[in-house]
Amino acid sequence: MFKRHERATATPEVTITIDGAPYQVPSTLSVAAAVLMHQGAAGYRRHAAGGHRAPLCMMGVCHDCLITIDDAPNRQGCLVTVEQGMRVRRQLDEAAATATRWDTANHASGDEQRGRDDADL
Amino acid sequence: MQTCEPRETVGTDGSKERARVVVLGAGPAGMAAALRLAEAGLRALVLDQARAPGGQIYRDLDQPQLDAAVMGKDYHRGRALVGAFLDAARRGEIDYRPGTRVWWIEALDDALNDALNDGLNDAHRLGVRGHDGISRELVAERLIIATGAMERGWPFPGWQLPGVMQAGAAQILMKQGALLTEGPPVLAGNGPLLYLLAWQYLNAGCPPRMILDTAPNLGLARTLRHPLRAWRARGYLAKGARMLATLRRAGVPVVRGVQSLAAEGDQRLTGVRYRRRGDDQEHKLKTDWLLTHMGVVPEPQLPRGLGIEHRWQEAQQAFVPDRRDDLSVRPGVWLAGDGGGIGGAMNAEREGRLAALAVLDELMADLMDKPQDTTANAKGAAAPRPDADNRRAVARDSARESARAIARESAALRRRRRLDLSGRRLLDALFTPPADWVERQPGETLICRCEGVSQAQLKAALGAGPAGPNQLKAFTRCGMGPCQGRLCGTNVSRLMAREQGRDMDEVGYYRIRPPLTSITLGELALAPSDHLTTQSQ
Ligand SMILES: Cc1cc2nc3c(=O)[nH]c(=O)nc-3n(C[C@H](O)[C@@H](O)[C@H](O)COP(=O)(O)OP(=O)(O)OC[C@H]3O[C@@H](n4cnc5c(N)ncnc54)[C@H](O)[C@@H]3O)c2cc1C
Ligand code: FES
Repeated sequence: MFKRHERATATPEVTITIDGAPYQVPSTLSVAAAVLMHQGAAGYRRHAAGGHRAPLCMMGVCHDCLITIDDAPNRQGCLVTVEQGMRVRRQLDEAAATATRWDTANHASGDEQRGRDDADL
Repeated sequence: MQTCEPRETVGTDGSKERARVVVLGAGPAGMAAALRLAEAGLRALVLDQARAPGGQIYRDLDQPQLDAAVMGKDYHRGRALVGAFLDAARRGEIDYRPGTRVWWIEALDDALNDALNDGLNDAHRLGVRGHDGISRELVAERLIIATGAMERGWPFPGWQLPGVMQAGAAQILMKQGALLTEGPPVLAGNGPLLYLLAWQYLNAGCPPRMILDTAPNLGLARTLRHPLRAWRARGYLAKGARMLATLRRAGVPVVRGVQSLAAEGDQRLTGVRYRRRGDDQEHKLKTDWLLTHMGVVPEPQLPRGLGIEHRWQEAQQAFVPDRRDDLSVRPGVWLAGDGGGIGGAMNAEREGRLAALAVLDELMADLMDKPQDTTANAKGAAAPRPDADNRRAVARDSARESARAIARESAALRRRRRLDLSGRRLLDALFTPPADWVERQPGETLICRCEGVSQAQLKAALGAGPAGPNQLKAFTRCGMGPCQGRLCGTNVSRLMAREQGRDMDEVGYYRIRPPLTSITLGELALAPSDHLTTQSQ
């Protein structure tokens, strides 16, 4: 887990739920940070290939922070700031992991599917 | 300079917004650009996906979580810039929209341009996902891209395990909520940011367990090969040396010449293995947290999406977009800050101002060419007045004077930039990532985290002789996941270049198409082509 430093500036808090359980977190946190603070990295999300993944970059690049926020699946947890009453759900079952793959795929263009490349165009 | 009057962003129809100058990114480069434009009376539209302005270095300074004794003076120095930016936004001199992501960008083709944009050339269309989760389209007459840098994707066995994070990510958690790992982390890799984080952790009372440094121990020899550069980089070098000395004094072990690294664990990290150059023995270390860093590289999505040419820079081990002297990358588009090549925060600020000046210079030129149009536009009034000729002459004169002032200011900024960057090149030399890293990883190492493609699979596919990274992508799905190839792109090109004996520019990089940042299929249903429906919902 991540712990808040004892000399941290006093910051207003909001209450969110993670997998149904309520937590108070500083209002400056992203959803991914809130989950790392209270649940840690283990079991953050299930990857389509089977293993677990957790946030790598915290800045919108890696997409290993995908999570369900207020029933909307596959949000980038590191780019969404917590809000009072937010319902966060980790995507840990196989169905969710498979759905993630389809929902977020960087779908290949026609050229790529035909196996063409810049170099041979 | 009052000749450029502020103009509200206007909708050409109910849904489409049009802005005179759009700045993408509110890091030091974007903030400085918007502030310089505001000084000239021009209200820029600034879009940034973060909650608050600041960019990577000055993140969350609107509500700093830890003081300068922990984070260092360089971080808190940003408060002045962030404060000035927020003040200007409050006064309405900057149209700042946080929580807004740009996921699509294209140049208006000429026909469309005439119809939509009164024949104004060089405009661009952007797809923007707002804080409300709704996608909208807007037209930018002029565009400053200041989307910054990201940490390089640095693969080794097990880097996909929970418990492995990038050092920058750990720093973001400190800035965002004073969050630190429970239990001391192991840090690994190379580069100034790795040592900065180690030092910040130490200041916070959580010294890192160990630093595994992959750099060959050539520091001093390399430094002295370029005495002039060393002198120009003395500020950076001294800062680095002070941090290292503090870490040493505190007893943080620094292992140099690390040649291989692996993360171990089942569903989460439990330990690391490493080996040093010239040492047959493998060392093991138990840890819950491994924070890695291998330098930062320009964030490629927007420039690539616009089709801007990139060139391989061996010293930075990165593709860098081609920019002209005035930082323009194509008509109507400028690229400022670390997104155009790593130069650091001070340089990013300078480049932001330079880009703003280049925009102002163009507007001045417009004013001198066709004064009547611009005056009419700027005032939103069409009816000519009796004294209009006289006013135009006055406007022209003051525009000429302003153009001269802009030229002087730019020249001074350019001079400082040249000096600063020549010192920076020494840092590049000190922290060059190993060029053969990817090819010498064990075959099971994931190169594409999203699609789970290993180095061995890529090497096998390379045997079939794909012409370039796009074809390799079609063969293996490498780069087809939601990160859009940002963590694997350069590594794939690198592997291909080495295996096929070609140079990096010839191999090139993935072709980047929209969406430039991930947008789920659900969000696509609200995409620009449907904006009218979206608006009425
Ligand atoms: C994780 C990280 C931590 C760093 N920490 C330090 C540090 O402590 N000290 C230091 O000297 N240097 C640091 N750097 C280096 C950094 O590049 C600075 O030199 C500086 O922040 C660069 O300024 P910039 O304005 O060019 O870009 P940035 O500061 O990176 O700002 C770019 C902005 O663009 C926004 N953006 C990017 N893409 C989009 C998009 N598609 N839509 C909307 N908005 C977008 C981002 O949210 C960001 O706010 C760090 C870099 C990284 C990647
Ligand atoms: S943690 Fe990398 S995209 Fe969110």
